[in-house]
Amino acid sequence: METRHALWLVLALPAAGAALCPLLRTRDGMLRWALGVVAATAAASAVCIRAVFATGPLRVGGLLHLDSLSAYHLGVMMAVFLLASLYSITYFRHETFTRGGAIRYGGLWLGSLGTMALALLSNNLGLMWVGIEATTLLTALLITVHRSPAALEAMWKYLLTCSVGIAFAFMGTLLVAAAGAKAREALVWTSLRDAAATLDVGTLKLGFLFLLVGYGTKSGLAPMHSWLPDAHSQAPAPVSAIFSGFMLNSALYCILRYVPLVESATGGSGWSHRLLVLFGLLSIVVSAAFITFQNDLKRLLAYSSVEHLGIIALGAGLGGLGAFAALFHTLNHSVCKTLGFFCAGRLGQLHGTQDMRRMGGSLRSSPVWGTGLLAAVLALIGMTPFAIFMSELLIVRAAIDTRSIVSLVVFLAGTGTVFVAALRHAVRMAWGDPVGERPPARATPLDVALVAMPLGVILVLGLWLPGPLARAIEGAAAVIRGGRP
Amino acid sequence: MTQMIEAVMVLLVLTNLLLLGTSRLATCIRTVAIQGVALGTLPVLGHAHELSLRLVLLAVGSASLKGVVFPFLLFRAMREADVRHEIEPFVGYTASILIGIGSLAVSVWASSRITLPGPAVSSLVLPAALFTILVGLFVIVSRRKALMQVIGYLAMENGIYAFGVVLVGEIPMLVELGVLLDVFVAVLVMGIAIYHIRREYDHIDVDELDALKG
Repeated sequence: METRHALWLVLALPAAGAALCPLLRTRDGMLRWALGVVAATAAASAVCIRAVFATGPLRVGGLLHLDSLSAYHLGVMMAVFLLASLYSITYFRHETFTRGGAIRYGGLWLGSLGTMALALLSNNLGLMWVGIEATTLLTALLITVHRSPAALEAMWKYLLTCSVGIAFAFMGTLLVAAAGAKAREALVWTSLRDAAATLDVGTLKLGFLFLLVGYGTKSGLAPMHSWLPDAHSQAPAPVSAIFSGFMLNSALYCILRYVPLVESATGGSGWSHRLLVLFGLLSIVVSAAFITFQNDLKRLLAYSSVEHLGIIALGAGLGGLGAFAALFHTLNHSVCKTLGFFCAGRLGQLHGTQDMRRMGGSLRSSPVWGTGLLAAVLALIGMTPFAIFMSELLIVRAAIDTRSIVSLVVFLAGTGTVFVAALRHAVRMAWGDPVGERPPARATPLDVALVAMPLGVILVLGLWLPGPLARAIEGAAAVIRGGRP
Repeated sequence: MTQMIEAVMVLLVLTNLLLLGTSRLATCIRTVAIQGVALGTLPVLGHAHELSLRLVLLAVGSASLKGVVFPFLLFRAMREADVRHEIEPFVGYTASILIGIGSLAVSVWASSRITLPGPAVSSLVLPAALFTILVGLFVIVSRRKALMQVIGYLAMENGIYAFGVVLVGEIPMLVELGVLLDVFVAVLVMGIAIYHIRREYDHIDVDELDALKG
């Protein structure tokens, strides 16, 4: 078997795993099964990713295509899913969960892994859209694993806002296909890339606008982010973790796919870059305002995702070094936000609330999760020596290189505001006076590992970027810049 | 065949206006279903001289999904939620129709400004498609009942479908099936959501889903 056929495994394993869920008998069995299937998918992905970075893009027919950009995102996704599946085991131990609920959860969990993988692997832009839309529908049901009025409200808003947004993205996809009428296959990314010079520029630009608004809704870029804080705050913590840790990025990935097409068709005019910068800066400013006046921990983390997705869009829009910084930031943010939601979820269970004013003294009530949350928030606001500081520094350098002074000022003002506001919350939660007395929670080795692993990654990456990873990010950035991988 | 296609487009415009002026949910469900069935015939009408089994199957599949399955799901949701009418929409019916006529004018104007590559099937298709998309969006934002929002979403999907037929002509089978499957699951999931919202809140008025903010 050739390596490229392992791409089918990446799609088939989650689908088969989801289909087999009803056979499982217990809740814990279900969660272990989900973890096992995710691990197997991760192994298949690892084989493919390795092959891409060793020998170049993998292709199966006209359908599947894994180049360095999608391989990099696939790697980030599998890391987030592995961690979150492991975390599900400890999180749901403290929740009431019927067998039916567990089966639904497992099936939807693996199903959304499969649909996100479809979006990443498909070479056909139409199928990529199908994957993203299917992700929306499956994850909408994941929000209401615990049915409450608030969760239903969040689900409805998410479902409707994102469905409409993604319908816009479909119009954009159709317009791009129309622009590529002269290409060999109008919906296939590689053939559009090869025929970029023949694309109809006006139609392509119109299509990109629709795509940016449509997929931008799903990736939480302001001002289309209204669904995001509701969905993230109401979903169970492992689901919030994959929302923030990868689902947003998967939609942004779709936008990034189109950037090189637009840029090579317009002869490198930087038109799509300027739009990305605009939406990125807007997201940073809007989220900074909402973070300043936030009292709900999970909503704070959700708005922080709007900010960081904005930073990624800004980096990609700055181009050059910015594209590298944006992709490095993608990894850092995903790992860090996953940790943040893990800790927020368990601390929320321990304190019985997500209100940060009532979560004081979390370092004492749970040394492990309290430390994790403090570290995650400090890393998210860009404290050294964590990796997010490094990627944000690279974005500053990219802004200086391209003389984008306005972007630089807005970026620094926005992240500065978030720094001060979130630091205040973090300090109060860590060392503030506890509301009511409760004995410190005991931590299992699994809990410690779940905090230590992501924390270790963002700490190490802040100090030292391994050569192979740097080359992988560089390869992925080259795809966005429009160079041959 | 152009005449047939134009007849479908006129039907699309008229049903849109009906959608804007009706408070009975049952009528709205049927209206959107009629749109779906009429649009399902478009690929066949557009390629009448080179009819293939693939095209016919796709047309039959899409028409039966939109004409039979969706109305069935929506009527079931209507019964379960026990609503018959859209009472007091955010924008009244007369105003809705006026806005509809306005957006028809905007669609015609916008289509005259857009130059699309490739051969045009009929000059009516693009304005009718844009108009349907705008009407769908307007229904989503101007109606109070969750079920009406689903109907608006389906109208918008119909518009995008027409848009796709004029723009791309032939979308690969796999993509088309995937899109149909997605829309189907969307209606299914929205139906489930409406069922649970009704159970938790005892109504399906979306403007009262306002606990989450900030």
